[in-house]
Amino acid sequence: MAIPVEIPNQYGDVAECMHAARANLDRVRRLLMRPSAESVDAAAAILREVEVQLGCISVLWKADQSKRDPKLKPVLEEIRKDVGVLAECFSQAERLFEGWIRAIQSKRGGYDKQGQAAALILVNQVNLEG
Amino acid sequence: MGSLFSALNTAAGALSAFNKAIDVTQNNVANANTPGWAAQNPVMESVNIQSADGTVGGVTEETINSRNPLADTAVQQAQSLMGKFQQLQTSLAPVQTAMDVTSSSAIPSALNELFSAFSQWSTQPTNGTYQTGVINAAQDVSEAFQEVSAQLNSAAGTVTQNLQSTVTQINQDAAEIQGFNAQIAAGNSNPGLQAQIESTLENLSSLANIQTLPGAGGTITVLLGGQTPLVIGTTVDALSVGTNVAGATNGPPTSTILDSNGNDVTSQVTSGSLGALLSVGNNLIPSLIGGGSQTGGLNTLAKSLADTVNNLLESGSTTATPPFQAGSALFTYNANPPSGIAATLGVTPNFQGSQLAAVQTGPPQVSNGIALQLANLDTNPAGQINGQSFSGYFASLAANVGNAVSSANTSATAQQQAVSQAQSLQQQLSGVSLDQQAVQLVQIQSAYQAASKVVTVIDQITQSLMDMVQ
Repeated sequence: MAIPVEIPNQYGDVAECMHAARANLDRVRRLLMRPSAESVDAAAAILREVEVQLGCISVLWKADQSKRDPKLKPVLEEIRKDVGVLAECFSQAERLFEGWIRAIQSKRGGYDKQGQAAALILVNQVNLEG
Repeated sequence: MGSLFSALNTAAGALSAFNKAIDVTQNNVANANTPGWAAQNPVMESVNIQSADGTVGGVTEETINSRNPLADTAVQQAQSLMGKFQQLQTSLAPVQTAMDVTSSSAIPSALNELFSAFSQWSTQPTNGTYQTGVINAAQDVSEAFQEVSAQLNSAAGTVTQNLQSTVTQINQDAAEIQGFNAQIAAGNSNPGLQAQIESTLENLSSLANIQTLPGAGGTITVLLGGQTPLVIGTTVDALSVGTNVAGATNGPPTSTILDSNGNDVTSQVTSGSLGALLSVGNNLIPSLIGGGSQTGGLNTLAKSLADTVNNLLESGSTTATPPFQAGSALFTYNANPPSGIAATLGVTPNFQGSQLAAVQTGPPQVSNGIALQLANLDTNPAGQINGQSFSGYFASLAANVGNAVSSANTSATAQQQAVSQAQSLQQQLSGVSLDQQAVQLVQIQSAYQAASKVVTVIDQITQSLMDMVQ
């Protein structure tokens, strides 16, 4: 038996929902142009909202095929493009962090016998200040 | 400490909020949730170590006071990739224009017109108007191939010019760094000079994939691809552009990058503007119009089309009754070198409509058999290249270019953000210890990983929505 899904009121209109998702993706892109821990957190929160928005559209479209308006396809394609940019951005970020952390590891601890940057571990030990 | 606390707390908040399984060590999470964390410093410990300076182990605290060489390197690497993607965007634009499938003067349109003309001619093979229609359509196809070939050759010429100017810029930047090194060697190092060096290195990074190493007396050593010296102390090893004539069996030679001793170091260039120009000039454009060891898809298409049409016409007869009169070849081209086929494709000079052979002599004899085969050529297996129709083959060539452009656009936008990110982190992390830096990076990386997983889910949902609305 299928579990009924409740769609929040603000996500009930497919077109509005889709445009809102697109606008949210744009906000994410702008946030990531000024990257910081705070902006990444804010971006992730918005992405979670986009996930809900698109998920609601999926539920609505599965429940009622007449709501699958082909006019919305270009908007979907734009969303797909934006998501592609974000995915690429995160992929590049991953490479950046990996390279940077590896550089710190080798500078801090040298290299192991396999020629890899020595691993750094965060031990359960703290220095107290003040 | 403020920035460290902020990074730890916000990253921990992200983990909790998204409840996603992320690959961060239990110790990190445990420490991040430790009460009073804000008043504590984590201790980093290296394991199984032969350290860079020869000592074994040790947990010394190293504070970076002025510039952060690791952060600078990260910025340079990000700049190098951005330079590559931006150059790809620039260099691919004219290629994409040439391979346009929508323009009325484009090859697909001309091919359609030719097959339509064959179809019309097949209804009345002796109709002079229809015969002229075939010749005119063949002329249009030839001109379309010539036009695209000329545009791509022009794009190739621009790439070659840009290669030369980019190498000149690289040598100029190397000379600047040489000058800075001379000042450092003379004991004139200061923060202003260091900033100038970093600025020049960032510019150089956008041109090619370089690596920097500390040299003697505080100078900067710059290597191309981690191997070829560009600057060592006060010595510059200038690059130059060469041509690989040995591989030019089918068309113009490909470009090479030579070090100061004349050695080919092309394979070491993987990024920056120079990497993009080599990729477009040595691979993408030759894959279309030939060059180096490649014949080029456009030439393959032109040759296959001309040969197939000519063979059919020459196998037919211009007369419906014996004695049969063999038809003539409609197309001509110069296959020496093979990369020149598309550029020289044309209609046989002084070709007359009466030379078009519509009759299939058989048996069975069919009065419009050849004309019908020509009309159906684009759907007939006899007219296929590697299992594709002529139109389909061109579409696949255009799609390769389109994919390259799309990929460059996406990557350039994303890389712009990566550069901003690296520069922002460069500022945030200056003046902190390597240990603090590592912790911050791991925590911010975790936040990125959490957000990245949401993007993956969104991508999957978007794909399923696209499938629904097809």
